[in-house]
Amino acid sequence: MIQIENLTKVYQTKDRDVIGVDNVSLTINEGEIFGIVGYSGAGKSSLLRCINLLERPTKGRILVDGLDLMSLNANNLRKARLKIGMIFQHFHLISQKTVAENIIFALRAASTPAKEIDQRVEELLDMVDLADKKDVFPAQLSGGQKQRVGIARALANEPSVLLCDEATSALDPNTTSSILKLLKKINRELNITIVLITHEMNVVKEICDRMAIMQDGKVVESGNVYDIFSAPKNDLTKTFIKDVVNIDVPEEMLQKCTGQIVKITFRGDIAGESVISDMIQTFDVKGNFLHGLIEYIQERPLGMFVMEMKGDKTEIDKAIDYMSSQQVDVEVIRDVI
Amino acid sequence: MLFDVDRIVELLPEMTQAFGETIYMIGIALLVALIIGLPLGIILFVTDKGLFLENKPIKSVLGFVVNVIRSIPFIILMVAITPFTKLIVGNSIGPTAASVALSVAAIPFFARIVETSLREIDKGVIEAAIAVGATPWMIIKDVLLPEAKSSIIQGITLTVISLVAYSAMAGFVGGGGIGDLAIRFGYYRYDNTIMILTVVILLLLVQIFQWIGDKAAKAVDKS
Repeated sequence: MIQIENLTKVYQTKDRDVIGVDNVSLTINEGEIFGIVGYSGAGKSSLLRCINLLERPTKGRILVDGLDLMSLNANNLRKARLKIGMIFQHFHLISQKTVAENIIFALRAASTPAKEIDQRVEELLDMVDLADKKDVFPAQLSGGQKQRVGIARALANEPSVLLCDEATSALDPNTTSSILKLLKKINRELNITIVLITHEMNVVKEICDRMAIMQDGKVVESGNVYDIFSAPKNDLTKTFIKDVVNIDVPEEMLQKCTGQIVKITFRGDIAGESVISDMIQTFDVKGNFLHGLIEYIQERPLGMFVMEMKGDKTEIDKAIDYMSSQQVDVEVIRDVI
Repeated sequence: MLFDVDRIVELLPEMTQAFGETIYMIGIALLVALIIGLPLGIILFVTDKGLFLENKPIKSVLGFVVNVIRSIPFIILMVAITPFTKLIVGNSIGPTAASVALSVAAIPFFARIVETSLREIDKGVIEAAIAVGATPWMIIKDVLLPEAKSSIIQGITLTVISLVAYSAMAGFVGGGGIGDLAIRFGYYRYDNTIMILTVVILLLLVQIFQWIGDKAAKAVDKS
């Protein structure tokens, strides 16, 4: 578990102080995948780098598995870092060492007995599917392979936490997806808590359990990923979510419509189609879909539809009330013209 | 006659000896530069602001000393440290004495080159090593030195070539070597043959060292 308490990071430049992280408190539970989202400059990278004290917070506390990192001396902090793995956007492998040597470097940091080293290297390379690249230098690997080496190195000393600093931002979509699958596998099989920062909502949608959105050094919204995707509150959150679930209807299309336009959101286990067909049969309204999609977030469906409703105004209102009573979110986007 | 072959044959023993002295002086100075200058360069780098052994007093003092020595022209340095040279090797002339001055000049020169080479390393790689929980010594041994290896080898080449030039200067104050030969015959006796020959030898030396250095730097680089 990671507890971030009132964390503030101020950068001193020549003429002024820049606030990187502004009084952030977050608790990241054991075994979850937590995503921190924000545009560049939002402070997410600073926040992540404060978790293993690559950057020292100006104020606040960081507790990893109950250990107050800022109270540790240099040597104990080094030992604590053995249990906090980290991977990077640009991998940061030692270019003059082979894949195996890069992993051995991490193992030696934890004074792993020499006779166990070979076996650990094999295990780690098997886990990241790179057993055949053992004696290859990083320059001969693709981006995805380099990140796999980075992951193997980060996991070498069996950490309880893995920090991912834009780990997929330098990779193409296919590779990103395979790395995310690997991260998820690591999380589930080894029960490692993962904290990742990214500007891609797809990454969050794909693997995160909970998330926080950052802006100007502050956390503006946080919670369960499914809840945030289905009902974002903050404007910035909404903008981010549009990257993944965008159901905006083109303006020209809207102008052609004369009925009431509503946005209907189905969450999880509700059988969406049945509510709509019941509504059409029960009330004297006509429904016309303008847009719709179903996304699967954490394996739960999230359905969003934009519908034009035509008919008598009172009938439409009754229909909306009916849908709302069936646990369906209905938002009126535009009234009847 | 500008170039006299007989003269060369006649002076061949002296030439061979001078050549040997030059290599001897450069060899000693290079060895000392590697033994002292390399760690010094590493210290200059790792004690810098924002690095894992940040230490302002050490960085400032060492940086200052290095700058002082580097700002003194070699020919003046050589004369100025004569008492020190006497203390170390017992006399102040000859190739051994000259190698003291060459070493003193080579240490800060090479240290700065090492520091610059280390500075070229991607900071992220160092950061990743810190995040992994590596000790400072591990970072120096397994990250800094391997990553800067090729660049440091080029730095050694540069140091050797500078030492060739400095060693020739040492000839001016009785340091022996090829420079001494050039001064005694070429300058004082207007012996053009010797003059040209020493130039050719120095030129070849530099070319050979550069060629070896380039090959070595390329051979060790895996990136």
